[in-house]
Amino acid sequence: MRPVFVLVRKDLTNFLRNKAAVSLTFAIPFAMIYLFGQIFGINQKDSGPSGIPIAVVNASTNIAAAKLVDALKSENSLRIITETGPKEKRRPLTESDLRPMMQAAGADFRFAIVIPEDVISDTRLGLHLKFLSNPRNEIETQTVNGLLQKTIFSNVPELLGASLQARAKNFLGDASLNTFNRGIANAIAGAFGGNIDEILARIENGNFGFDQLTKAATTPGSNTGTAGADQKSAMADVFSRIVRIDTEQVVGAKVKSPMATALVGGWAIQFLLFALSASATSLFRERDAGIFQRLLAAPVTRAQILWSKFVYGVLLGLVQLLVLFFAAGLLFGIEILPHLPLLALTCVFAAAACTSFGMLLAAVSSSPEAASGLATFTIMLMSAIGGAWFPISFMPQFIQQFSKLTLVYWSMEGFSAVLWANQGFVQLLPILSILGGIAVVVMSLAVWRFNRGKIFG
Amino acid sequence: MLQLHSVTKRYGDLVALNDVSLELARGEFFGLLGPNGAGKSTTMSLIAGLRAADSGTLTLDGQPLTAANSASRLSLGLVPQHIALYPELNAVENLRIFGELYGLRGPDLRARIDAALEAVQLADRRKDPVKNFSGGMQRRLNLVAALLHRPKLLLCDEPTVGVDPQSRNAIFEYLEQLNREGLTIIYSTHYMEEATRLCSRIGIIDHGKLHALGTLDELLLTLPFEEEVRFHATPATGLLASQLGAYGELTTVDGTHRFRPRADFKFSKLYALAESLELPARLFASQRPTLEAVFLHLTGRSLRE
Ligand SMILES: Nc1ncnc2c1ncn2[C@@H]1O[C@H](COP(=O)(O)OP(=O)(O)OP(=O)(O)O)[C@@H](O)[C@H]1O
Ligand SMILES: [Mg+2]
Repeated sequence: MRPVFVLVRKDLTNFLRNKAAVSLTFAIPFAMIYLFGQIFGINQKDSGPSGIPIAVVNASTNIAAAKLVDALKSENSLRIITETGPKEKRRPLTESDLRPMMQAAGADFRFAIVIPEDVISDTRLGLHLKFLSNPRNEIETQTVNGLLQKTIFSNVPELLGASLQARAKNFLGDASLNTFNRGIANAIAGAFGGNIDEILARIENGNFGFDQLTKAATTPGSNTGTAGADQKSAMADVFSRIVRIDTEQVVGAKVKSPMATALVGGWAIQFLLFALSASATSLFRERDAGIFQRLLAAPVTRAQILWSKFVYGVLLGLVQLLVLFFAAGLLFGIEILPHLPLLALTCVFAAAACTSFGMLLAAVSSSPEAASGLATFTIMLMSAIGGAWFPISFMPQFIQQFSKLTLVYWSMEGFSAVLWANQGFVQLLPILSILGGIAVVVMSLAVWRFNRGKIFG
Repeated sequence: MLQLHSVTKRYGDLVALNDVSLELARGEFFGLLGPNGAGKSTTMSLIAGLRAADSGTLTLDGQPLTAANSASRLSLGLVPQHIALYPELNAVENLRIFGELYGLRGPDLRARIDAALEAVQLADRRKDPVKNFSGGMQRRLNLVAALLHRPKLLLCDEPTVGVDPQSRNAIFEYLEQLNREGLTIIYSTHYMEEATRLCSRIGIIDHGKLHALGTLDELLLTLPFEEEVRFHATPATGLLASQLGAYGELTTVDGTHRFRPRADFKFSKLYALAESLELPARLFASQRPTLEAVFLHLTGRSLRE
């Protein structure tokens, strides 16, 4: 066992001396992660005023529309632009400004919302909003969509109420609607108390108390204990559940995690594969230098030499992946610490699979040149179809079938299971088994090849 | 101490060692002299247990030398033909790794490393990466890396390749000192000068066969002549050379004729022939034959071929 320890420590020291290897393992993947993070618009959680810029044009006089604009302004992840022109002569944006501004190179914003005069019409139910986008990429567009939905649903429910009223008026006619509203106001006043005229005025404005409901929903502890409050919170639950379905998948920090997680995992694994293939290929150099003769003349066995490379690979991979995930945690706000034990476990399995891959490459190659050529080709291929560069959902169905054959894919699955889907050990087990299985099978193949191949010949 | 009995080693169809038998006593400085591809490294690797012989036996102090016998490895030190060091690591780190692989550690290992670096004049470069060393310095470190565990038998496979005369001399003196202190050494080389200077006994190997075995004097005695006459190969000496062929062995190497007369040859005959061809006597140099001549005599080819 001791020779393995000595050789692993030797490989680690050797690694740290080799600046090219260190930068290949840490600096370059970090740079790629940062770069692609910028391109995909993955920002840090609560990035405040530096959020995604969105132009808002409010052509409606409806009070609720003004509230919507305020609500959008209070959303941290968005930066709302409502004015244009030089400093002294700022003027509100109009709808006709938007298209040319968004098409211009280096546009200040790539998304815009127009609240038209007919935001609420009496011929349609619902809101009429215009959403203009210049989607540089799907992820950012989805993020914006999600944020808008959340803001509209949770902050300005009166607009929906007003829409209901307008629709009812068109359907029932003015007089009937009046009667209908008065009837409801009467019923409410009878059941819960209150002034009929006040209630009626609120109903006619479309204020069904949805705002109260959402407030109650966001602060469930504020239940006052009265029958009305109970009812409100029950409805709020229903309401907020509907909203939450829309928001949960696409809104806020969470939408950034799977993308950022995939980004970090993908690039980290890709460069780990490069580093480990180089390390396995160094077996050729050590053989040619006669170092194997020296080691094997000492009380060291072939198995110990191979094991030391394996242990070294797993250690290097664990450290590299964790360092890059922590760095990405700072960069993109991925939560690392709460998931650390499972993340580390996944990293160990992913690193084991990567290491065995590097060992197999060296074992089947006849020279270091052949090995590094083969490594470059297979690593790029695996990374591309495994989803390290683009989400595999972007790829043709035909290619997606092959994604699952790559260790890149399963490593990334493992990382997102832990960091994004928040899965526990038991749920993670299938992925770990696959990675472990890849490691065992590939490593066995490699050892078998080593024993009859050129390295120890 | 070391016994090789009828050892044969093949690489595929190629017979790298052919029925080699050899016995070494404790404290010997044994030279294995042979040209490229003779089988020197193969012999070393079999003794070091890196490879298994196809037939025959190897024993050290009665114990079989096989890949599985790790106890015997502790009494062996191998200096590989190539510089077998980690170039990115410094001298001390390299020595520490190889020392630790033999189970050394702590202050004892540190003391041995210091002594080893001192012995080959590398103490002041101890913290430099080995890749920045000159060829001669790397050779010296390559040598001491095999000595930290104080083996009983040292296998030196051409340890002076690419070394300047000064470094070479330092290595010779160090090895001679170790040998005086009781270390048994097997030294392979294709330089007859090295074998002549260092070795108490020499084996001549070519094409996997051990052609002769003995002390320098014993080997020279196998020659059928006692003196060798050399003269430059020029058009003027061509006729003489062809006439001398009748009186002994004549070979031409690197533009020089070498004439080894048969035992009954009288040197006055040579001068008579030269005079008749009007060649001055100062053209001829006579000398005691060397290992080179022994090799040539045994194998029919030059060591440098
Ligand atoms: N691993 C190997 N596979 C096949 N043939 C080999 C191998 N190692 C050596 N040989 C062959 O065996 C013969 C003896 O080689 P060896 O290395 O023992 O010679 P050597 O005396 O050490 O030569 P050199 O002075 O060049 O080091 C050579 O013909 C060589 O080509
Ligand atoms: Mg050799």
